[in-house]
Amino acid sequence: MSRHAVRIAAAVAGLALAATAASATSATAAPAAGSVVIHESNSFFQQAARAGIVAVPLPTATAGYDAASGLSASFPVTDGSGTLNNFFGGVSLGGGLLFVDARTGSAVSFHQLAFAFDTWAVTAVPDGSTTPVALFDPAGNNSITSSGGTQSLTADALVLDAEGARYLDSELHTTFFTAGQDVGSFALSYTPAS
Amino acid sequence: MRHTAAKAFAAVAMTAALTAVAVPAMADPATGTVPASTDIVGAGSDTTQALLNQFSTDYNATVSGTPKLYSWDATGSATITPKSGAASITRPNGSGAGITALNAAGSSLDYARSSRGPQTGDLSSNLFVAFAKDAVTWSAKSGGHAPANLTTQDLFDIYSCTAGKTNWSAFGGTAGTIKPYLPQINSGTRSFFLKAIGNPTLGSCVVTGPQENQGTDPLLDDVDVIFPYSAGHWVGQANGHNDAVDDKGNLTLRSINGVAPLTASGTINSVFANPTYGRVLYNVVRDSDWNASPATTKSTALRAIFGSSGYLCSTAGKASTVSYGYLTLAAAACGSTTHI
Repeated sequence: MSRHAVRIAAAVAGLALAATAASATSATAAPAAGSVVIHESNSFFQQAARAGIVAVPLPTATAGYDAASGLSASFPVTDGSGTLNNFFGGVSLGGGLLFVDARTGSAVSFHQLAFAFDTWAVTAVPDGSTTPVALFDPAGNNSITSSGGTQSLTADALVLDAEGARYLDSELHTTFFTAGQDVGSFALSYTPAS
Repeated sequence: MRHTAAKAFAAVAMTAALTAVAVPAMADPATGTVPASTDIVGAGSDTTQALLNQFSTDYNATVSGTPKLYSWDATGSATITPKSGAASITRPNGSGAGITALNAAGSSLDYARSSRGPQTGDLSSNLFVAFAKDAVTWSAKSGGHAPANLTTQDLFDIYSCTAGKTNWSAFGGTAGTIKPYLPQINSGTRSFFLKAIGNPTLGSCVVTGPQENQGTDPLLDDVDVIFPYSAGHWVGQANGHNDAVDDKGNLTLRSINGVAPLTASGTINSVFANPTYGRVLYNVVRDSDWNASPATTKSTALRAIFGSSGYLCSTAGKASTVSYGYLTLAAAACGSTTHI
């Protein structure tokens, strides 16, 4: 075996060892878990539809619909730090969110969604950018509970952040979005990695 | 090192003084004012009493008729009559005492000021309504023997009176026997601080007694003293919300694990206000009052004062929160509720 081949074999063996170690670690450590559910009210859904605008959750987010209450999108928690009831830290979310304006033919999609416990805002990074945009803010009555290591937040209102409204209007070439616009409601369930 | 630290403390104090609005601390409902039976009346934490007094004055100026907002200080006369027609009660001194008084049979209190969150033993029917963030650190006499920084383990050892850890020389300070003090037993600051440093079994060198956040206590005028202190309350006092007793005196705030409790501009360092040394400030209400259905005059008033759209979370309310030294909570985090 040549010296070059030996180096490659050693590197592969090293990677295998690292993979084994990582696997052993992950076998004993539970990753962060939970979800964020953004509930889009029928009222907002109908207003947006009339304006030609639809919002679509992207994998690994999942969507649901209830005729009485409207659309919902569930985003899995992929990582997190801090604690909700200390308003310190936040969670990272999987999946993405696509906004389309059928009238203008414009679209903008976001990934790297996150909810920060200190700023109390849902942020997301537009595809092709590295700068997060604050999209939504839980509003109204917010209730925080903690049970068995799982932290939960329910907000009976969710409003569009001023930054998000400006960004969406700009990207979709609309005037539909406004700061504080009532979108629906918000729920978070978060179990830190252990 | 100590010289540099002293300069830093002086700079912080100077900045705070420059930004100060000299408004003396207020206390209790004004003399001659008896809150009406329908007013919203509370008691409890020493840490937030001055700020709640400010809220009371400002909120009541916006309200015609009742319910108005009143707050009884943690210290003063031994007993108080919270509102018109109510029985006289022992003045609640501290978060725990305030919550206990709120839950007493026939209580005439409508809320309790709390500088701690819900904990085992609290009632699930108590809602803790968040409105600000604070941090707790340790303080020592300016120019005294204590160093500028201690670790969490150092603090654990000091309050355990661990052998070999009872002299400031063991921690990089000037030789002198450490005098660890703690606030009175019902103090939320006391319970929070002890939990943050690992709940040590208190050693015989520890003295309980001084009122929390009162650096003017003669016991604390000592070069070897160490005493937990609300960073926010200290900033508020530096901002002129003080009086002859409710003042930081000669105590200055010190760092923990190399992180300073204050920024260069004299506000709480948000990094220091992490889940270990940062704490949320609450007002505790009864769930049955807050969520009354149909809504009552009281539930409406409680939400108008403490809720996410209420006075404490308004622009004016948050301005007072900042002036009194605390960090505000973003959006509807202010006014959010939690319980055990």
